[in-house]
Amino acid sequence: MNFRLLTLTTLTAAGIAGSAFAADTVKLGYQLPLTGDTAQYGQDFRKAAEIALTEFNAAGKPFKVEIVFEDSRSDAKEGTNIARKFVDDKEIVGVLGDFTSGVSMAAAQVYKDAGMPQLSQTASHPDYTKISKYQFRNIATQAQEGPYNAKWMATKGFKNVAVIAEQTDWGQSVVSGFSDAVKANGGTVAFSEFFNRGLKDYRSLISKIERAKPDAIYTGFFYEDGAQFLKQLQQLGIKTPVYSTSAAYSPKLIELAGGAAEGVHLTSNFLPTDPSPNVQHFVDEWKKRSDGAVPGQFPAQAYDAVRIMLAAVEKASPNPTREKVRDALAQTKDFPGVTGKTSFSADREAEKELVKVEVKGGAFVPVAD
Amino acid sequence: MFDPYYLQQLAIGLSLGMTYALMAIGFTLIFGVLNVVNFAHGEIYTLGAFAGLVLISATAPPIVAVILGALAIGALAGFSLERIAFKPFRRFTDEASLKSRAMRESTLLSSLAVSIVVREALEIVFGSQMRSVPFEYLINTPVRVGPVILVTGDFIIFGVAAAMLIGLQYLLTRTRVGLAIRAVSNNPLGAKYVGIDTDRTIITTFVVGSMMGAAAGILMGLYYGAVFPAMGFTPGIKAFVAMVMGGLSSIPGAVICALILGISESMATTFVSSGWSDMVAYGFLILTLIFFPNGLFGARRERV
Amino acid sequence: MNAFENAAPADGLTRRRGLLVPALILLLVFAALPALLAGFDKGYFYQIANLALIFVLLSASMHLVTGVAGLLHLGHAAFYGVGAYTAALLTSKLGLGFTVTLPLSGLVAALVAFLVALPTMRLVSIYFAVATLAIGQMLYLVMLNWVDFTKGPNGVIVSKGFELFGFSLSGRLGAYYTVAAVVTLSVIAIGRLSHSYYGNALRSIREDDQCADAMGVSTVRLKMEAFTLSAFFAGIAGSLWAHMTGYISPGDFKFSESILILAMVVVGGLGSLPGAVIGALLLILLPEGLRALGDFRNIMVGLVMFLSILLLPKGLLGEVSALRLVRRQLGAAWRNTGPANGKGEGIGWR
Repeated sequence: MNFRLLTLTTLTAAGIAGSAFAADTVKLGYQLPLTGDTAQYGQDFRKAAEIALTEFNAAGKPFKVEIVFEDSRSDAKEGTNIARKFVDDKEIVGVLGDFTSGVSMAAAQVYKDAGMPQLSQTASHPDYTKISKYQFRNIATQAQEGPYNAKWMATKGFKNVAVIAEQTDWGQSVVSGFSDAVKANGGTVAFSEFFNRGLKDYRSLISKIERAKPDAIYTGFFYEDGAQFLKQLQQLGIKTPVYSTSAAYSPKLIELAGGAAEGVHLTSNFLPTDPSPNVQHFVDEWKKRSDGAVPGQFPAQAYDAVRIMLAAVEKASPNPTREKVRDALAQTKDFPGVTGKTSFSADREAEKELVKVEVKGGAFVPVAD
Repeated sequence: MFDPYYLQQLAIGLSLGMTYALMAIGFTLIFGVLNVVNFAHGEIYTLGAFAGLVLISATAPPIVAVILGALAIGALAGFSLERIAFKPFRRFTDEASLKSRAMRESTLLSSLAVSIVVREALEIVFGSQMRSVPFEYLINTPVRVGPVILVTGDFIIFGVAAAMLIGLQYLLTRTRVGLAIRAVSNNPLGAKYVGIDTDRTIITTFVVGSMMGAAAGILMGLYYGAVFPAMGFTPGIKAFVAMVMGGLSSIPGAVICALILGISESMATTFVSSGWSDMVAYGFLILTLIFFPNGLFGARRERV
Repeated sequence: MNAFENAAPADGLTRRRGLLVPALILLLVFAALPALLAGFDKGYFYQIANLALIFVLLSASMHLVTGVAGLLHLGHAAFYGVGAYTAALLTSKLGLGFTVTLPLSGLVAALVAFLVALPTMRLVSIYFAVATLAIGQMLYLVMLNWVDFTKGPNGVIVSKGFELFGFSLSGRLGAYYTVAAVVTLSVIAIGRLSHSYYGNALRSIREDDQCADAMGVSTVRLKMEAFTLSAFFAGIAGSLWAHMTGYISPGDFKFSESILILAMVVVGGLGSLPGAVIGALLLILLPEGLRALGDFRNIMVGLVMFLSILLLPKGLLGEVSALRLVRRQLGAAWRNTGPANGKGEGIGWR
């Protein structure tokens, strides 16, 4: 009990110190996994957010923005604790995150009641934006990406396809979004299965897929699982073409899978090679902060999410409130981000433009079809 | 009539089982001597893999040197682990403390605490993302054996596991050190009374067991081409299950059960969705325990 | 902790002293703490208080199996999950409220525990531990992969907060009092169980099951009862969690949660109920309190855990000191009825 008292006093002290800030400082919250098994994603998001924030504060705006980062460990317990903490801080007018849908959904229950706008860079649960009018996301949903890929594969002449995805809410939406579109296009889904995230040996699954003799394999995985899958596919000497989603779009995929990644087709809405100045600016800044590494899809989404939020805060100022920021977010139209132009639809989903990409010569190369 | 598909699945299961077995050998050895679960064994495995990776990226030595480096780190880690997480709890030698189960089991979680600290430290130093191993070091070139495709690593892992098993059996049954280990594992107090330096024996066991864990870690890193701080978790659980299924005291038993686990997982993938395949492995474990309450190969031992 | 308030008849002085500590604790939980929380008016502190209470219940329920009966339980989080899923599915599919789901969650978790216990309870020591690990993992896989029924990884949204016979308790203070009342009553029940003849029978299994068997204690049946009871309380905790967060997914009940609960029981002192309670408070409040340390906070949690095991190997409040506390507070129940040399038969509750 003493301990709780101690925390109470330190936190109040911090609160008093916080209110000493000048009135022209606006605070945002960002909940993300900075430790634990998914920390690599959270660390990337923080880096992207810091780039966006430094730019914003250097641009000579009438007010400064501060982002409070809190570590959720991808754990729903901690995620809801943080959500309460952000809601309590009267100066916080908007929240970004979390990374996994599970934690985002649990935290969203808190934000719903408190009327706090929440913008996630990755939450992909189909029901996430349905929770309340305060939930937004900056990610192409599988309801959009699935049919796009299905059409792409159909034009390539693949009628009979297999689909596998990780056993998460996102994986579920990958399979349903894609399978429905394939059937609507007159194709058949020869094989459909889920695997547990972090599976090491895909060879059993691959042998099983091959028995169904599909023309192509559509996959819903992140780069870690993707790299293992592709390597083991190559080991087993299987040449069936592989298609994937933007979630696998990371330079780490090629780094981990090497030659096995060659020829993989996937969609994306961010290309580090895009010559447009804002993309190049982001890529340069990223390289400066990460020993020359090139950013992937997720950091780009986070960077855009932060910038969309900042733009909304700017629009809602002076004296932004949570409600004003929410309304400003909802009005976001054709926001020129590094992941293309973003608009929020009436149900707060981001409408994204997708690009087709193929791995050629150890790099992601945009292709016409 | 026999579908080569099943042969392929069998081969995959065997190779998967071998990777579990590699970890289970060291785990069982350490369990045997103190009768306490070493929750930090998975972290030793991860440390071995990271040691190898650091060596490779620093000096690009031949593969043998990489493994020797991992072994050295494993030995060091095993020694420190014993000193930090187990030794302090052996200060009570009075009979009451030795017999009180509450007393003994509270010590077992010290290794869990150490494993949390090690894993978090690795995450801070190396980041929690997967790090790739340079391709020239990987041991996964495909090899075709009849209708079945395996990779070079499968054979290397088989060789290493067999060598470990034989070497360990030799050590345990033919040398004085092994005799001391068996004595301590059988009855620590008795061993002490006949003049065996139990402390040294326990350290030796930890060093040998942890070297095996670290070797398993670097081999798996080279086999899968990815090294990351949480990599020891799943194989750690599987090794634990294999050890208990094998009957705790029997290292060959643990190896055989690791193979059974691997095969049941890959075969299960044939009949059920991949997400459910662990269910078969755990179901198998429960069945084994119902019919063989002391494990498949466990001798009836006095319950402490 | 609250177990001690149920003092057995005693002479006035001991009785008054015996009621002091539990009365203080009750006062703290039901008056001082809510007043403090209301004073600060921070949802964050309510949240932490509720979360800590839920884990107090989880830790106390595991204490029954692991602390008192001495059986290493590595799958406790799964029963917590079964309870949470029962509450969530009853709410989302049948529209039932908390008043109904709370007892049902406990009963369903207990039923599942009973069914899986039937074949496995003959196992001893580490074999038992690995069997509970397997059971926990299997239940987790069911929650994750049985998509048609549990909605799998999509999780379940629980649209109803706390209520009592239709009277909403979903405000901050209402939710706190609901959680506090349920947890306190459950912990009292667990305390009564573990400091009774029944609890002593369980302890006999822990210290020497063969001997207990020989003395006529039905070890298998006792183990099964303890296991089922502990699952019942874990299920209750699950129901609280489901209605509190409003959204659950299988990830909340994975293996690492079982280990977390086990760590609470051990850090606090194996075999001691106050220890289990303190362990839970420590391991929930510490990571929150250490947020200022940023990325290093989990290392600190590990270090504190290690140091507390190292320096206090019997736990923060080990069984011996816990028993001594009980004995001092409730002198009557422990008072020897026999001769003064202490060989009376007065040990245990009447």
